[in-house]
Amino acid sequence: MPVFYLDDQPIEFQPGEKVLPAALRAGADIPHYCYHPGLSVVATCRMCLVDVVDMGNGRPIPKLQTSCSMDAAPNMKIVTSNDKVSEARKLVMEFLLINHPLDCPVCDQSGECILQDYSYDHGTGKSEMEYNKRVYGIRDVGTFIQLERNRCIHCTRCDRFTREVTGTAEFGMFNRAHELTVDTFADRPMVNKFQGNMADICPVGALTEKEFRFKRRVWRLKKTPSLCLGCSTGCNTSIEYDKNEVFRMKPRENQEVNRWWMCDEGRLTYRQMNQREGRVMKPMGRIKGELQAISWNQAFEAIAERVKEMKPQASEVLALTDTRASNEELFMLKKLMRDAFQSSEVLFPMPSWEQPESDFFIDSIITTDRTPNRAGARELGLKGDTDGSLLKQAAEQPAKVVILLGNPFEQEAAAREKIGDAQLLIQVTPFLNEWSELVDVVLPGQLHSEKVATYTNKDRRVQRTEAAVVPPRQSHPEWEVLAGLMRALGQEPQVDSVEGVFAALAQEVRSFAGMQLSTLPATGQVLPGTVDDPGRAVKRLEKSSIA
Amino acid sequence: MFSPDIQKQIDHVLSRYPIRRNALLPILHLAQKDNEGYLTQEVINEVAALCEVTPTHVEGVITFYTMFKLKKPGKYHVQVCTCVPCCLVGGTELLEHTEERLGIHAGYTTDDGVFSIEEMECIGACSYAPAVIVNEDYHEQVTPEKMDQLIEQLRTQA
Amino acid sequence: MLEETLVLFRNIRNPNYDKSLKGYLASGGHKALKQALGMKPDEIVQVVKDSGLRGRGGAGFPTGMKWSFMAKGTGKPSYLVCNADESEPGTCKDRELMLKDPQQFLEGMMIGCFAIGCNHGYIYVRGEYWPSIKSLNAAIDELYEAGILGDNVYGSGFKLDLTVHTGAGAYICGEESALLDSLEGKRGHPRVKPPFPAVSGFNGCPTTVNNVETLACLPYILTEGPEAFKAHGPENNAGTHLVSLSGHVNRPGVYEISMHASIREIIYDLGGGIRGGKALKGVIPGGSSSPVIRADEIDVNYSFDGLSKIGSMMGSSAMMVFDEDTDVVQLLHRITRFYNHESCGQCTPCREGTHWARQILRDFLSGNGSDRKLKRLHRVGQNMSGTTVCALGDAAAFPIMSFVSKFPEEFKNYFESTSPIAA
Repeated sequence: MPVFYLDDQPIEFQPGEKVLPAALRAGADIPHYCYHPGLSVVATCRMCLVDVVDMGNGRPIPKLQTSCSMDAAPNMKIVTSNDKVSEARKLVMEFLLINHPLDCPVCDQSGECILQDYSYDHGTGKSEMEYNKRVYGIRDVGTFIQLERNRCIHCTRCDRFTREVTGTAEFGMFNRAHELTVDTFADRPMVNKFQGNMADICPVGALTEKEFRFKRRVWRLKKTPSLCLGCSTGCNTSIEYDKNEVFRMKPRENQEVNRWWMCDEGRLTYRQMNQREGRVMKPMGRIKGELQAISWNQAFEAIAERVKEMKPQASEVLALTDTRASNEELFMLKKLMRDAFQSSEVLFPMPSWEQPESDFFIDSIITTDRTPNRAGARELGLKGDTDGSLLKQAAEQPAKVVILLGNPFEQEAAAREKIGDAQLLIQVTPFLNEWSELVDVVLPGQLHSEKVATYTNKDRRVQRTEAAVVPPRQSHPEWEVLAGLMRALGQEPQVDSVEGVFAALAQEVRSFAGMQLSTLPATGQVLPGTVDDPGRAVKRLEKSSIA
Repeated sequence: MFSPDIQKQIDHVLSRYPIRRNALLPILHLAQKDNEGYLTQEVINEVAALCEVTPTHVEGVITFYTMFKLKKPGKYHVQVCTCVPCCLVGGTELLEHTEERLGIHAGYTTDDGVFSIEEMECIGACSYAPAVIVNEDYHEQVTPEKMDQLIEQLRTQA
Repeated sequence: MLEETLVLFRNIRNPNYDKSLKGYLASGGHKALKQALGMKPDEIVQVVKDSGLRGRGGAGFPTGMKWSFMAKGTGKPSYLVCNADESEPGTCKDRELMLKDPQQFLEGMMIGCFAIGCNHGYIYVRGEYWPSIKSLNAAIDELYEAGILGDNVYGSGFKLDLTVHTGAGAYICGEESALLDSLEGKRGHPRVKPPFPAVSGFNGCPTTVNNVETLACLPYILTEGPEAFKAHGPENNAGTHLVSLSGHVNRPGVYEISMHASIREIIYDLGGGIRGGKALKGVIPGGSSSPVIRADEIDVNYSFDGLSKIGSMMGSSAMMVFDEDTDVVQLLHRITRFYNHESCGQCTPCREGTHWARQILRDFLSGNGSDRKLKRLHRVGQNMSGTTVCALGDAAAFPIMSFVSKFPEEFKNYFESTSPIAA
């Protein structure tokens, strides 16, 4: 690859690449506001000016150049550490701050604001401006984000986002010169489902998430990489929490999945991570018709005793799972059914969905299936129910023993009633749900924010979560609960860690062959084979003419 | 809904461009002409649909260009240039004279709705300064006396 | 005694000239167009290159070379867009051509379209120019009625449509990439270059943007030959030039001169000297963005090179003359107010700097000037120049820096004088 030199540091670039992205990729920092890799280049903030002392042909460029818009050339020599550049940065900082309210103490961006950061790194620390600052009133622009125009530095990332990424163009620039501002049309609030991204890409506190405002100072937040389980897209996320309370979920860049973006609905799924209402804190058994707290030993003993009494045939055992279960959990469920009951009757819901596709990438980011790990369940050979027929069949021949993972087939009340007649219903779940009213034993599971787990998205990409917050003390990851159940039923699960489960899975399931949990790439790994989900119907959207 | 004549002109304008959005500026001029010289939310929505853009885009465009008005101007919109060449030869004085004469500040409309005044940046009649545009007509080398005559003449027409 | 050199104005200066198509044809019009249609487009480009024609919009870029940059074989249509968004304060030459001899300009436009292979040319006229717009539209209608414009220009098989596009009051749309944005139906924000319009212009297609006066030169160049055109100016400054003379002169007006003329000759011979017999204080020689020159600097050629020698520029060749009684601080405030009003606002230095400079100058006018503020004004100007996407940052900075350095005593008078409101 050709190389240019940034302050004598060699930086590789692809032909046609601009200087700034190549430098950022190499880990070098050139300060910038308006540039964003997911948006077009406008080169207007003027913060990324650099001095080209040699274009690669021995000749310098006399004027400073914006590195975001300048093509890298072989052997080009670029300097950012001289007086000329630091002077230019100083003046841009001074110009940006003359009308900025400097209200950091009450601004939610404070702490993750690059205006603050660059002020500290490149600013002068004082201003000669002695006139009144420009002041705008409050405008309500959307359901998800708050606009504070006084803080705006006019980088226009938000404007470009609605034009180029969502194609909705309902947010844009108004007026001109020093009165330039961003806004929506009259009193028409925003409609797009991706407003949170505008808060993310806003370099200052002009756009902030309503959900997060005034909740926590960002420097107190710890961040753990995770996934969104809202749908089968599997957007990469970062869970941000303080003192075991999750405050928000932000997208994490993965060019193969969600790029830099995620939908607002997905962001809001963080709420569930803090939910304590209906959370299963301890194992519970049905005693005299009521679910009452029992110990893990009591639970396992009771289950083992009942199974021993019943001696169910393979055909008399049924397992139902939802698709929020991880690959490891599904694998353990399958193993439990096979080893303890010689049954392969594990059903999961696999509804059909329409996959929108258009020239706007973002259109394909939301899937309406709401079955996050359906691809994982299919890969493991579990029985996907596309039209409710398998469940109906199961309800017609009620099983004696039913094992439930999560909240499967939650909409199917009639089938639930019938299946609920089983003699022994065991449920592993983090939250109580309608099934819980029917079951004999509830065992506390964990959320994906609390455990290490892998999920397979709609494009057969296996991705992992990390444990962010501490789960309720008595809960265990589902794979461990299922392993415990196996032991109680006299089978040795032969796993003692999630890595071990994954290894066993990789051994057994051909498409996972050779994979290890510890070496799974940060961006995930695609399983061999093709995407052949029968429920997936691609719906082509008309390209909007808005640009 | 536009008047039939304006609609005809709009259709003609649309036929002159490769994509509908290109015709936005000329159409806004026509729509403004059709609506007493200014643009309302309703008109903006209509133009947006016509040019296949969002109302936000249209309002962004309107607020960028000084000739598009969101406030109703007078029947005679008196645009006095006070930019450099005009200012050198009495443009500013002419504006003040006009304001005094009509009893309104630049940017406002007389109570009877007949006159409005706008202070203009260069209107490109520099060698004939000071210059004034009333609606679509240029008046050049305008002295305060000529301005008085012009105002009287327009008032009788109104 | 300097007199006009009539090339573009040869019809306009004829009191009996009939500007209709009939009148234009009677005066020898369309000879060049017919000649061009018989040539290869590349040959026309070469003739224009040979003529040394430089763009009359402000930058003075060689026209033939600009045409030769047009991307070929892209599979997209090519466009010629005429920049008639004449907005630089002081400039009113294109208006003259569009109002008084539209057919000559349109002939040049048609030749240009043929030379670059454009089948639909757009003429972007600033919105305030209603009379020019009407004049052009009437002239174009005549060309369609005569069967000249349309599917088959003079039986050559060349298809050409022309459309007048109305701007709506934004100086920045005179910048060619902002003009293209505006023509596309957007806010007129200058684009970052490259890509240049010749590669990706109107709707992403290869586009050339030429000024009205530039195109109007083409009929003469073709009929009289590139050498004849060249002869009207010194080396590297070919052709005549329309100068918009305004300010404190006895006979302001638009004059056509050869580039051999000096500034003094233009002011005193053509302009009839300073009004009221007063002394000259200074000249803004090329539109309000060009650096001001003092009365003792006017003995230079009014040409691209003559002005650049004394640190100014010819720009749009709009000469604004001001006499000894002029308050230059007020003048600079008015200029700065203009650039503040017209900044598109996208680049930080220009958006914030023009407004800041305007506020500082206001302070001077209200008697609150100081040495410190004068230095700050100069610094703000300095920080705006050369740091923006388009040249508006420079355009706003040049007057500030040149006024402050050429007339420092006048600024000092403002705050050193005993009266709170000076001059």
